[in-house]
Amino acid sequence: MNPVEIAENASAPPIPVRGISEPRLEVHKFRSGAVVGASFLALVLQAFVPTHVWKGDLVGDLIELPLLVTLYFGLSRRNPSRGLLLGMVIGMAQDGLSGTNPIGLFGIAKTLVGYLASTIGARLDVEHPVSRMVLAFAFFHLHNLVCVFTRRWLLAQAAPLMTVRLLVASLVAALLAWPLFALLDKLRQDED
Amino acid sequence: MFEIATRRRPYVLLAISLVIQILLLAVQVRRPDGARLIRVWAVELLTPAERAGSWALDAMRGGWTGYIGLFRANRENQKLREQLGELTLRNSALESQAAEAKRLAALLEFRDAHPDASMLAARVIGGAGTGGRAIYIDRGERDGIQPNMGVITPLGAVGKVLEVYSNTSQVLLLTDKNGGAGALLANSRTQGAARGSGGPQLQLDYVSNDQDVAVGERVLTSGMDKIFPKDLPLGVVTEVKPGNPFKQIQVRPAAGIDQLEEVLILTGRKQWEWETKAAEAAASAATASTATAKKPNAAPATKPPAAAEGEAKAKP
Repeated sequence: MNPVEIAENASAPPIPVRGISEPRLEVHKFRSGAVVGASFLALVLQAFVPTHVWKGDLVGDLIELPLLVTLYFGLSRRNPSRGLLLGMVIGMAQDGLSGTNPIGLFGIAKTLVGYLASTIGARLDVEHPVSRMVLAFAFFHLHNLVCVFTRRWLLAQAAPLMTVRLLVASLVAALLAWPLFALLDKLRQDED
Repeated sequence: MFEIATRRRPYVLLAISLVIQILLLAVQVRRPDGARLIRVWAVELLTPAERAGSWALDAMRGGWTGYIGLFRANRENQKLREQLGELTLRNSALESQAAEAKRLAALLEFRDAHPDASMLAARVIGGAGTGGRAIYIDRGERDGIQPNMGVITPLGAVGKVLEVYSNTSQVLLLTDKNGGAGALLANSRTQGAARGSGGPQLQLDYVSNDQDVAVGERVLTSGMDKIFPKDLPLGVVTEVKPGNPFKQIQVRPAAGIDQLEEVLILTGRKQWEWETKAAEAAASAATASTATAKKPNAAPATKPPAAAEGEAKAKP
C-alpha cells in the first residue's frame, strides 16, 4: 500500500510522506469549482479553437488541452481515485464532443493517465517545471499509445504508433505544460 | 473483506472504469459486417466455451453410447456365437441328412432299376472291431434275413450275411480273408474267384497267364457263388502280375467298402440261383457248340472253385 492510500484510509491524522502535504487536504487545495471549471474550459477550447480559431490549420490538432488538464490535476491532487475519475469524465466528454470517436476511446486513455499521474504525483516531485514538461511529454505518448492499442485491438482500426506529427504534438504538449501548469497553480487554495 | 475492498479502492475503481468504457465502446462500434462489437466479443468469448462444452458433451455422449453399444454388441456377439454354434450343428445334421437322403435315393433308384430283384435296405450300425472286415447291419431274422444272403450297394458287391440275430446281422465283407465272390473280367469274360486278403483290395485268382488282363479293366460278379447276381460290379483291376500257375491280379472293390453307411440285402436268393442256372445252361450250350465245332475232343474248361462251390451249395 502506498503512502497516499495509508493516509486516505487511516482514521488517525495523515502522516506526511516525502515532503508531501496531507493528502486528505489536497481535495481542497484548489478553489471550489476550479477543477470543474478548468476541465470545462479545456474541453471547450479543445473543441472550439481547432474549429473556429485555427480553422484548417494543423496547429489546432497539435494541442491536447484536456490531456494536460487531466495530467495536472492528477499530479497535483495525488489521489488515484479522483484522478482516474476526472480523466474518465474529461475523456468521455472529449469523445462526445469529437463526434467521430466512439465514446470511451479517449475516456480509457485519460482514465489511465489520471490514475498514473496521481500515483506518480504521490512519489515524485512534480512541482519543478522541467519535470512537468518531461511528464507532459511522456504522458502524451502514453495517452497516444493507449489510443492506438484501443483502436487496433478493440476497434480493429488502423492507427499509426508513431509519426512526426505525433512527435511534434508531444513536444508542443510539453512546452505548453510549463505555462499552463503555472497558470493552474494559481487556482490552488492557500493552505494557511 | 470490506477493509480489503477499501484499501484496493483505486484499483477496483480503475478496473470498473475501464470495463465500463470498453463495454461502452463495444456497444457503439459496429464491425464492417454490421454486427455490434459487443456481440462479436460475446460470441468470440462464449463460442469457445460453448464449443468446449459441446465437445465434452459429445464426447461423454459418444463414450456412453459407445459403452452401451459395446455392451450390447458384446451380448449380441455372444448370442450370435451361440446361434452360430447351433446353426453349425444344425447344418451338419442337415448335410448328413442330405447325404443320407442322397444315398438312400441311390439305393432306391438301384432297387427300382432291378424290379425283379428282392432287396431289403439296411443301415450299417457298426463294425466288427479293430482290423475286422465285418460289419453289423440293423436287419435280422425278424426281417427275413438269412445267412449267405448277398449284401450290395448301387456301386457294387459288398459281402455276404455271416451271422443272423433277431434284429441285427453280421456281414462278412469281401475284403475279409474269408470273404470272396465269383468274378469275371468284363472284357474277356474270363471267370475267376475274387477273395479277400485282409487288406483294402481283393485278389482275383484262377486267371491263367494266357489271358490278357489290363489294369483298369472292370471285374464283375459271375453269379457262380449263388450269392450275388451276375454282372454286378465287383471292382477294377489295379495290378496284374504273372504268376504260377495263375496271374496275380489285384482288384480295388467298387463298393467303397470302407465308407459303407447303407446297404442292400439280396433277399431273393432263389431267383439268383434260377438266373444263374439259366445263364450257366446257356453258357454251357454255347461253349459246347463252340468246342464241338473247333475241337470235338477238347476237354471242358476248368471251372473256378467259387463256381464249383456255388454249384455244390445249390445242390440239395
